[in-house]
Order: sequence, then C-alpha cells, then structure tokens
Amino acid sequence: MAVKKRKNELTFLERIYIVEIIKGLSLTLKNMFKPKFTMKYPEEKFIPPASYRGRPVLVMDESGEERCVACGLCSRVCPALAIEVQAGETTREKERYPEKFEINMLRCIFCGLCEEVCPEEAILMSKDYELAFDRRSDALYGKDKLLVPISQLKDRIEFLRGYK
Amino acid sequence: MNIWEILIFTIIKILIVLTVMLLTVSYLVYFERRVSAWAQNRLGPNRVGWEGVLQPFADVLKLLLKEDIVPNVANKPIHTLAPVIALFVAFTTYAVIPFGPTVTIFGYSVPLVVADINMGVLYVLALTSLGVYAITFAGWSSGSKYSLLGGIRSSAQMISYEISMGFSVGGVLLLAGSLRPEAIVESQYGWMWNAIVQPIGFITFLVSAFAETNRLPFDLPEAEPELVGGYHTEYSSMKFAGFFLAEYANMIIASAMIVTLYLGGWRFPYLENFGLSSTMFAIISVLTFCIKVAALLFFFIWVRWSLPRFRYDQLMNLGWKVMFPLSLVNIVWVAILIMVFKF
Amino acid sequence: MPKLVIDGKEIEFKQGQTIIQAAKDNGITIPHFCWHESLSVSGNCRVCLVEIEKMPKLAIACSTTAADGMVVHTASEKALGARNAVMEFLLINHPLDCPICDEAGECKLQDYAYSHSVGESRFVEEKNHKDKRVPLGPYVMFDGDRCISCSRCIRFCDEIAKDPELTFVKRGDRVTIVTFPGEELDNPYSLNVTDICPVGALTNRDFRFKARVWDMSANKTICQGCSRGCNIELWVRNNQVLRITPRLNEEVNSFWMCDHGRINTFKFINAEDRVDGPQLRKEGALAKVEWEEAYNFAASELKKFSKNEIAFIGSPFATLEDNYLFAKFASSLGSKNIDFIRHTDSSFEDDILRKEDLTPNSLGAEAVGIKPGKDGLNLEGIIKGIKEKKIKALYLIEDDIVAAYPELEEYLANLDLLIVHATNFNKTTNYADVIFPAATYAEKNGTVVNFQGRVQRLKPAVSTVETDRAIDGMSMSRLDKFGTQYDKWAQGAKYDAKSTWKIIAALSNVLGNKVKFNLAEEVFNEISKSINSFSGLDYDVIGELGAKSKLQTSEKIVNA
Ligand code: SF4
Ligand code: SF4
Ligand code: SF4
Ligand code: SF4
Repeated sequence: MAVKKRKNELTFLERIYIVEIIKGLSLTLKNMFKPKFTMKYPEEKFIPPASYRGRPVLVMDESGEERCVACGLCSRVCPALAIEVQAGETTREKERYPEKFEINMLRCIFCGLCEEVCPEEAILMSKDYELAFDRRSDALYGKDKLLVPISQLKDRIEFLRGYK
Repeated sequence: MNIWEILIFTIIKILIVLTVMLLTVSYLVYFERRVSAWAQNRLGPNRVGWEGVLQPFADVLKLLLKEDIVPNVANKPIHTLAPVIALFVAFTTYAVIPFGPTVTIFGYSVPLVVADINMGVLYVLALTSLGVYAITFAGWSSGSKYSLLGGIRSSAQMISYEISMGFSVGGVLLLAGSLRPEAIVESQYGWMWNAIVQPIGFITFLVSAFAETNRLPFDLPEAEPELVGGYHTEYSSMKFAGFFLAEYANMIIASAMIVTLYLGGWRFPYLENFGLSSTMFAIISVLTFCIKVAALLFFFIWVRWSLPRFRYDQLMNLGWKVMFPLSLVNIVWVAILIMVFKF
Repeated sequence: MPKLVIDGKEIEFKQGQTIIQAAKDNGITIPHFCWHESLSVSGNCRVCLVEIEKMPKLAIACSTTAADGMVVHTASEKALGARNAVMEFLLINHPLDCPICDEAGECKLQDYAYSHSVGESRFVEEKNHKDKRVPLGPYVMFDGDRCISCSRCIRFCDEIAKDPELTFVKRGDRVTIVTFPGEELDNPYSLNVTDICPVGALTNRDFRFKARVWDMSANKTICQGCSRGCNIELWVRNNQVLRITPRLNEEVNSFWMCDHGRINTFKFINAEDRVDGPQLRKEGALAKVEWEEAYNFAASELKKFSKNEIAFIGSPFATLEDNYLFAKFASSLGSKNIDFIRHTDSSFEDDILRKEDLTPNSLGAEAVGIKPGKDGLNLEGIIKGIKEKKIKALYLIEDDIVAAYPELEEYLANLDLLIVHATNFNKTTNYADVIFPAATYAEKNGTVVNFQGRVQRLKPAVSTVETDRAIDGMSMSRLDKFGTQYDKWAQGAKYDAKSTWKIIAALSNVLGNKVKFNLAEEVFNEISKSINSFSGLDYDVIGELGAKSKLQTSEKIVNA
C-alpha cells in the first residue's frame, strides 16, 4: 500500500468549518432520498448465493439414504463441538452409518469446516438461515431434520467442486 | 379576569403545553431514528404500528419494565435527584415561550404563553444554567470515573458557551428593548427577523444552543468511545429515560427559543395584512410557530447525523476564541444598527 | 559394550540384538509394520529398510543383527526412497476407507502414510477386492481388503497363544488370511490380534463402531478378571467404558490380556442394575434414601447385636483400602467373625496369563485383616451360623454370597440385619435391609495385590455423583474438557455411589469412632505403616506399573 502523506495544514476555508459543514449536510440530505438497502425481511426473503454458509445439512442420496458413514471427522474438526455422531453397523456396502447424528444449532458457528473435512461429501452448508428456537432442546437437530435430498443441494455441490 | 379565571386558564395552558411537549419528545425520538436511518440509506423503525408510529410507546414500555440498577457506591439521594432536576428544568423553561398571539376565548382575552413575564429571557437563561447541575450531580453521584468525567466536561462546556449565548441574546434585547419574549416577537415585524438583521448573533446563538443541549457535534459529556455513556453511564430504567427525555425536551426548548429570538416567533410575515378573522389568525400563527420549531428540530437531527464530534480542545477553542469574540462583534453591529440606521 | 551409529547418534547395544531393537532401546523408532518386540522376526513388510554403510544393498533393520562399528542411516535419500516405494506398494490395493475403519486414529498405516508417503497415488487401475466382514471367531472380525499381510496375527497365535489357528492362503496380491479348516480364532487371547494388527483388518466385534479413538480418554488401571491383574486401559467416552486394552508391563502381562478380561469385566459399570443411592428396606420393599438416613439406620441397627451375633464378609473384589477399613470396623465392634469368599476355577488357569483365582485382590484382602480372629468364625462357620440362626446380623461388602452359596438363599431372610455394599443389584441384595451403593473399580482410587504379591493402582475412569473428571484428576478427552451440562454428549449417567472405605469411614464416625480419611492414599499410608508386608510403599512408589510387596507368594514368572 502506498503511504499517503497526511495533510496537516487545513486551508482557511476548512478552518472556519462553515463550508465543510455545509458540504457534509448536503451529502446526508442527498442520501435521505436515495433508495434504501434495507430488506423487509419476513415479507421479502433473502435468497443466498451458492457460496452462502447456512445451517449444515446431511445429504440424502437418490436411494433415500444418508451418504454419511459416521466417520466422526466433522465432529472432530468442529471448533464449536456442535456435532455428535454415533456410528452403527449396517448390512449395506458401506458397513457403517450414523445411528445418531445430532448438530446443536446453538453451538454451530457456521464455519463450514465440517463440510470441508467430510470425505464423503455427506455434510453440506445449506441456504437455510432461519434458525430460531423457543427451547434449547429444539436446537438439537437430529437426522430427521438434517437429512435433505441431494436434488436440493445441487448448486452447493457444484460450487464446492469448482473450488477443489 | 379575576385571579381564579387566570388560574384556571393557566392550568389549562400548562396541561396543554405539557401534553404537547411529552408527545413531541417521544415522537422526536422516533423521528430522529427515522431520519438517521434515511441519511444512512436504511428504513428505521417501521414495525410497531403503521410505519412504526407506535414505536415510542413500545420504547417507553420497555424502559418502564427494565430493572432499575443503582451502583453500590452511588450517593443514592443525589443519584435519584439528578434526572428529576433534568426533567424539571427542561419542562419549566417552556413556561415563558409564546406560541401564538393573544386570542379571545369565551370573551376572555388569553395570551398564548403560559407565563407572560417581563424578564422571560433571563428566566430561560437562568433555568438552562440550572440544567448543568443535573448533569454534574449525575456524574458525581454515580461513583464512576466515566460519569464523573462526563459531568465535569459538561459543566466546563456549558459555562463556556453560556457566555457567547448570553452576549448573542444581548443583541436581540438591544433591538427589542425588552426582556419579555412577547415583546421580542413583536419587534420582528414582517421579514425583519433577527436572524436576518443580525446573522452573526444568530449563528453564535445557534452553535451555543447545540453546545448547551449536548447535541452532536458537541456531545462530549456522553462521548461513547471514551466515556461509555458519560454522565448517564450508571443509569438504567426510567431514570435513564429521564435524562433521555430531558435531552430531547431541551432540544425543543432550544428550537423554540431560537424561533422566538431570531425567527420571528409565531409570526407569519405580513399575516395581519391578509385580513383574516382573528380565529384564523391565531390558528395560522400557532401553526407557523410549530412548523418553524419542527424545521429547527429537523436541523438538529440532520446535523447530528452529518458531523463528527469535536475534540475537547477544539470545543474549547471554538467557544472562547471564535464564538465569544463573534458575539461581541454582533453587539457592536447591533449598536451600529441602532445608532446609525435608527432601528 | 559394542556400539553402532544411527543417524549420527552413537548407541550401545547388546550382542545379538537386531538394529531395530537396539534403536528402540535407545529411543529411536525405525518405521515397522510386521516387527513386534514380543514376536519372532518375519521381515516381510520391508518398511524398515535402512541404509548401512559398506553394505551393497539396503537392509531390513528388523532382521539384521547389529554389529560393532556399523553406521546406519534411516533417513538417507536411499532409505527414504525405499520406504516411500514400500508405502506406495502397500497402498496400491488398500481400500483407503479410513472413514469407515475403526483403526483410524491408531493405525500405523495411516500414520506412516502421513509421515513417509508422498500422498499422491499413481495407481489408476482397479484395486483388487477381497472378502470383507469375515468373522474369524467369536470376537474378531476380519477385513481382507485392509490386510497388509504382515503376519503378526499368525505369529501371535503360534507363539503367544500357542494355538495356531490362522494362516495365509493364495499368493501375490491375492494373499489373504484364513483360519485353518474347521478352526475358529477362538483362543482365550484372540482379541490381542486386534491390538497388534497394524491396520484395521482385524477388529474387535464387541467394540466395532462404538466410538472413535480420539473421542475417548484412556485411563490406566488394573483388570479385575483374575489374580493376574493385567495392566489395562479403560477407554471412556461420555462417562461410559467402551473398551479395554492391555498396557505394557513386562512384570505382569507383557503386551497382552485375555478375552475374558477384555470383554466381561466392564459391562456392569454402566449396566441398568447399578445401585444408585443408598437403599433401605421399608415395609418389605427397597426405597432410596439419603446417605445420612442410611448411615444412622445402619449404625443404630448394628448396635442392637452382641459381637458374637454379627459376622463380616470382606471382598477380594474390593481394594486394599476398602478391606483394611472394613476389618478395622469389624474389630471396633469387637467381632472376630470375619472372612471373605474365594472365587476360583481351576479350568480358567493356563500357563500364559490366566490364573485360577478369579478375583483381583484375594491376597491383599487377607493381608489387611480379612481373616477370622482368634476363636472367630471363618466363612464356613459364618454360613453355618446363619443357618443355625446364631449369626443374626451380616455385613457384606462387594460380593454376592447367594450366587456363591445358592443354598443360603432361604436362610438369608432369617437374618435380623443384612447390610450390603453392592455395585449392582444381585441375588444377595434381594434380602438386604440396607444397601450402600459401592463405587466400581472404575470409579475409585485404590490398590490391589495380584498373585505375585505385586501392589497395583486402580485409578478412577468414570465419575460418580460425588466425583468430577477434572477435579479428581481422571484423564480427559477433548469432549470432557469442553463439554458443558447442556451438551448431551457430556451428560452420561453418573451414579450416586462411593468407595466402600468411604462408606465405612462415615459409618464409623456415626458410631463414634473417629476415622478421618479424605483420600484413599491416606488409608494406604496407614496400611503401609501398620502392616509390615506393605511397609515402604506409597502411591508414588507403586506408580503406574505397581511395586512388589513383601507378601509370600508362589511366584511364577509370566511366560509371555
Ligand atoms: S465427516 Fe462426513 S461422513 Fe464423516 S461423520 Fe461427518 S458427515 Fe459423516
Ligand atoms: S459449520 Fe462449523 S461449527 Fe457448524 S457444525 Fe460445521 S464445523 Fe461445527
Ligand atoms: S490381519 Fe492384520 S495382523 Fe494379520 S496379517 Fe493382516 S495386517 Fe497383519
Ligand atoms: S488374564 Fe486375568 S487379569 Fe489378565 S486380562 Fe485375563 S482376566 Fe484380566
């Protein structure tokens, strides 16, 4: 970065403030009539781009089963210790599956590390940001709430592959 | 009019003025939030009621329900007294400001001012200097360094700017030849507003008014970056609300004073010549007064959301080295006007 | 002593040692898969190739005998290149399914892939596949894809378990492990192969997929399965013991432990039938009460009997500290009727590790005074006394007399008072008037004496209501450190139980005998002061590997 020499001598006009004050006032006045950025949230909804990191979800593949093999890496990497995985044994080809998979949405900080570490592309950051709870226990999302059909996650997967 | 009738009319006037003040104060807060939002390309509070018009009530309700926390080391009586003084000063000052001409109701002629006293301007100056006690008391009694610094700054600031304020008013008094606010309003016939006749005085008074009300760019007593909340750091709940309301009430008074002293008061230029009925005349006059005050209030807010805060030394420099000499210049100018141009 | 130089460091070695062993004794680890300190050398993994000056080719460190003046390089360009190549070969057909594999986190192949491999695969062809999920025996599961044919498991069965059950079949890249026809991998030590298998090819069926190794804390303690007292680690997650692994102690168990110890000695800790809080029998049914109430009730009831009407039964499952205070308590009441139940099974014993005595502390119990006083009744006498109603009150700790002597069942109801310390409800607690919940061996500090007279430390691994992982110095996993009461994975069940010695001390105090111990260590210090066999010992001397006491034993050296 080029070092800018700081101007320390003010001109007379600047020193009597008046002109500068008028300039400032006119700037704010102009802005009062410009279009507003605020989004009227519950009526108007923000649809995030694919790069957005909303709540983590588990991928349910075409056969209706989770991709996750309960390796526990997401749980290990999660800096907020939000994820609890309990593995179980199945007769499917991948012997292992998550008997229990729980993310504590109160703990999650949406860092996306779980998604990054997952060897199975089984956990992804979704576009869902509407997370409000009345009770702590409601914030514990089990497999029922976490599993999302892969068809809804196509653009995130594409986005991620573009960066690999 | 006998004494009882005067009393009844005065009480009615007090009630009306008080209600209007309180309503204005709460809406002023709302207005400030909206204006600041617009200036920053936001929308501001627009959820409670239509476009957020019920927001002030929600705010008050919230403040009422908050826990009142008094620090352990605070001097409790003074800590409680401070916001009361602030509010008291703010509301009593309004008594002498005329908001319309004398009207005739049910055969009685009633001046549209709560107390038409002949040293009204002095009364205002006296009371506003009393206001500084509220802030110093609050700062000292809280037992917190932030509050204390805020309080000290505030007294220094008020004392410095009162001088230039007083001298600016001097010019107005010279022209009107009276301390009665009514008389001052009368003296600004047509377009002969004091703001036009003595612009330097107007500017010094305006700037001093900003300083006296602790509004940005002169809100050093509550400068958040260095003093947390300044003198009201240790206040919560309704006591905090007291200071909050007092600040806005002071703004209204300052605006009303400026209108009265420099912007022709309730007078609409040459309205007498339109041949209106006396009722219409009174209504338009009151409206004129309100509009002028509102415009000034907007100006207060607008300035707050445009200018950064002065540094303490800049503030003092400005007060003593610029404003004070300028107000003296103004007095000389008025003297010349009177002596040379026979005003 | 002869000397050789490894990577510029001069080390001494004993004549006849291999390079890898000499290096290991001096704290240098040469990468290896198939070599194991306690097994014969097979030299088939080739990952320990090192460069030796003046030798034409690289040599494997595990089978090259060290010679005086040798100069060995483990990290020279050639050695590294060779190791890299070996890793590449090993990984060609490896399924790389670490996410599903239980070994992940403690896998040698994984570790070496990180430290000695380039991390890129040049192999684009189809990997070959072998049988997965083959149960080799009751406890061991085999995954052929993951096997790197190191032959450790085969050598273990042949050499340590002395029961050849496994062998290689086929050749080249199709080579795999099978059991001999008609055989199963069912020797009493079979699970040790899961420990020594450097990869996840052999896994513990009892533990499969239960937890990731990095989520558990490893707590050093002693196996309670027999009087060998194998040194073990309890692996705990969320206050639950999930598996046991042996830990090296050449004096006791070497690298090994038996399947009985590994499978059968921890499940009761988190079983449904744990006694949770003191229980009093009120109107025929047991009811949970406060500790104070239970102490007061037991004390006032005990006072009602003359010293000859009361009998005490100690426990070879309880620690030295427990038994010592229990014996003291009995004598403070003037009773000489004190003994404990012996649990033996001669068919259990073999000449590897397992001992006939199925309890961890019978030697110790006797040594600290759980034996009848002069003219006092021994166990037989006590049983007879109960049957003849001469014994009216029985105080029994951490044992199940009904299970041991089923014929006693009908007589126990005749007792006027039966006080039991129990970890779990059992047949005896059915008749108890007072049950004090005893902490299990995994929940307390204490010491036990094995058949060699060796004093070894138990350390808490699971917390109870009154203990806390951090404050009581248990080993902590990451989850333990950062979990809060709001996290389900940190809320594992805790039982309201106390060490037997603590219960006895509190009860003594209620009875007016001041017993002031706060820590098991203080009790042990008194033991070592007052009982000659333990003199000179304290918890520091015992340490992690135990220390010999002066108890007379028929010592047999571990033949592992
Ligand atoms: S990292 Fe992926 S595969 Fe592993 S447990 Fe998490 S979601 Fe499942
Ligand atoms: S996004 Fe980050 S904090 Fe949230 S669950 Fe994944 S790893 Fe944990
Ligand atoms: S199963 Fe394990 S111990 Fe046995 S040969 Fe294969 S890798 Fe080695
Ligand atoms: S030999 Fe005895 S002490 Fe060792 S593991 Fe087996 S049961 Fe436990």
